[in-house]
Amino acid sequence: MPSFVANRPRNRAEIVHELRRLMAWDGVTETRALPFGLPALDAHLPQGGLTCGALHEAAPEAPGDLPAAFGFIVAIAATMLARVPPSAPVLFVTAPGALAGTPSGHGFNRFGLDPARVILVEAANDRQALWAMEEALRSAAPAAVVGAVGRLDFRASQRLHFAALESARPLLLLRPPGMPSVAVTRWHIAAARASPDRFGLIGGPCWRVTLERCRNGRPGQWLVEFDHASHRFSLAAALADPTFSRVSHPALPRKRGKEREELFRKRENEDFSRDRKPCLRGDRARAG
Amino acid sequence: MTGHEPVDPEEPLILIVDAAGGPRIAALNEAAEAAGLAVQDLLADARAKAAALQVHRADPVADDAALRRLALWATRYTPTVSPWGEAEGADGLFLDVTGAAHLFGGEARLLADLAARLDRFGLPARLAIAETAGAAWALARFHPAAPVILPAGAEAQALAPLPIAALRLAGDTRTTLRRLGFKQIGSLMDNPRAPFAARFAAELLRRLDQALGRTAEPLVPVVAPPVYHSLRYLIEPIVTQAAVVAVATRLMKDLVHALVRDGVGARILRLSLYRVDGEVALIDIGLTLPTRSAEHVARLIDLKLERIAETVEFGFGFEALGLAVTAAARIEPMQTDAAAVGEAAHPERCAALIDNLRQRLGPRRVRQLKPVASHIPERAEVACMAADEAWPEPDESRPRPLFLLPQAEPADVIAEVPEGPPQRFRWRGEIHGVVHAQGPERIAGEWWRSRTPQPTRDYYLVEDAAGHRFWLYREGLYGRETNAARWFVHGLFA
Repeated sequence: MPSFVANRPRNRAEIVHELRRLMAWDGVTETRALPFGLPALDAHLPQGGLTCGALHEAAPEAPGDLPAAFGFIVAIAATMLARVPPSAPVLFVTAPGALAGTPSGHGFNRFGLDPARVILVEAANDRQALWAMEEALRSAAPAAVVGAVGRLDFRASQRLHFAALESARPLLLLRPPGMPSVAVTRWHIAAARASPDRFGLIGGPCWRVTLERCRNGRPGQWLVEFDHASHRFSLAAALADPTFSRVSHPALPRKRGKEREELFRKRENEDFSRDRKPCLRGDRARAG
Repeated sequence: MTGHEPVDPEEPLILIVDAAGGPRIAALNEAAEAAGLAVQDLLADARAKAAALQVHRADPVADDAALRRLALWATRYTPTVSPWGEAEGADGLFLDVTGAAHLFGGEARLLADLAARLDRFGLPARLAIAETAGAAWALARFHPAAPVILPAGAEAQALAPLPIAALRLAGDTRTTLRRLGFKQIGSLMDNPRAPFAARFAAELLRRLDQALGRTAEPLVPVVAPPVYHSLRYLIEPIVTQAAVVAVATRLMKDLVHALVRDGVGARILRLSLYRVDGEVALIDIGLTLPTRSAEHVARLIDLKLERIAETVEFGFGFEALGLAVTAAARIEPMQTDAAAVGEAAHPERCAALIDNLRQRLGPRRVRQLKPVASHIPERAEVACMAADEAWPEPDESRPRPLFLLPQAEPADVIAEVPEGPPQRFRWRGEIHGVVHAQGPERIAGEWWRSRTPQPTRDYYLVEDAAGHRFWLYREGLYGRETNAARWFVHGLFA
């Protein structure tokens, strides 16, 4: 690669940046990212936030957590939409049976997502839903595409990720857990009991958010709240929820200095090798 | 007139309009006239005079449309046909037969032909030919012996004995003239002009001059709606979808010039596929925004053909294809700014996406949300084809769930007191212990919508031990509306 040789980067940060660029799927560096506004969470994500032109997945931990997982996605879409021109809509593509009921406009409104900007697409089956999502991404007309599908194979997720990458639009997918995919981030969402607000009322939604997989990032688990008034994420106090303390935290062990850096690097490599494997399989399948 | 109820032409029939002091007669038939009724009579008086009176409401919009249709028909005589406007009574036509009469064997023959045809339509008509539109109007309306053909230059003599009303004047001008003692047009022509000009608006002398040919009166000719249609016959029948789309693209390109010329774009298109064995398949394409883009139309046809693949039988192939724009809408010319191309093109990109999705998935599957002013949660919004209404600010004291169940589902609830919040409930076979309940939010039935009273609902937001949140309601008030209130799960919070 002559250009790489010609301006050889000097310091370590540049080398890391250059390597990240080369490691990316097709060399495109996507600069825009959406931070959650939570330093503890954003530090785990590669660019300090969710990459815009990419596929992100959220799965409910149990069937009863489906509304929670959808709510998490809607909250992300709402904060994302607050940053783009007000005319751009957000497209919700649903396959039959993928959601617990009909998404309600007043419900969207409560999350700070203007229902007038919502376009609902009810596909007759998963195939149509996939087609509609890809079509929407390729047109680059919506600010974000949200999908809720039942089954999705690896090749389909690859197609969708490329479409998202090319149009620089995020695709937020709600799907059942435990299926292979190329998603940049994969989240597991479970409902959690929120601490009542100072009036003793049930406050905003509270989720136990698990970042199960993240390319170029680190997994983690947090207890996240979403505030209806300010439309912002916040970290819930861990002690407020007794169930949370029982969950084993997959975060890094308490070590300092060099040891910790070593661990970081090890985990990053692990993540990376895990990411590449399905991709190679996919490539081989295409070649054959 | 409404065409729904049968009308007996032998019996008195009137059309009414709402006016000051109650409904008044706008038009009537001969039988009604014979019964002593007249235009402008009150309906109450008319009912007293005529026993078996048939009353219908006048429909000016339909009248206008019918007159326009008749005007389009009359273009068989001359290209310049102008339907009468409000000032002329909106019940007739001007035909400019200059240079067209000889085609029908002269003015008298033309007039006779026109009278015969109108008679066959069941339209009794009064006809007149004169040098000026004003004179022809006056003669047709007020000459005792219509049809009349007035030779050039004879306007003054012919109009002189006619009443003032023959000048197409506004009501108050007519009233003033009558009070001053002017009854006939002749008396206006005999007197000096200056006092009239000082006393009346310019309208009076303008109308007089127009009738006498001293000043020009431009007519606005009726224009037939343009037809956008193109048709291609093929040497070889085509049997593939790709070929159909390719031909349709060329058909649309044929239409683009006409659409650009008129500044319009297609809103609804119809593609006709003529099969070799005589069958015709019709494909209708609706668009969100008017378009002139052949590529966009081709893509929509492609998607639609994919969706309805099983219903379109290609058979031995299609030998001719026709594409027609059945509804067109204006496209506002837009300034193309190099810097703001991305922004300006955005609504079009969205519309194109919605079109594509609708053609492939079906029009009812792509919808937008519209708020409805209703307290009942399931009525408070509606998913429709197009919505651009602003939503109200959410009310934090009245939380609404992210999911509404399509139908409220019954739940078995244990509550401490009958009117209290739920303590435990079973829904879809699972038992949920309520840890926190918030409510009730009382929503009364909307009595103005239905005759049978709707029971009051008390909504509770409840949270179970796992943190799942439900929206439950109790139907009916204890003691007043019911003795055994039922519980339902209506929605799920995130």
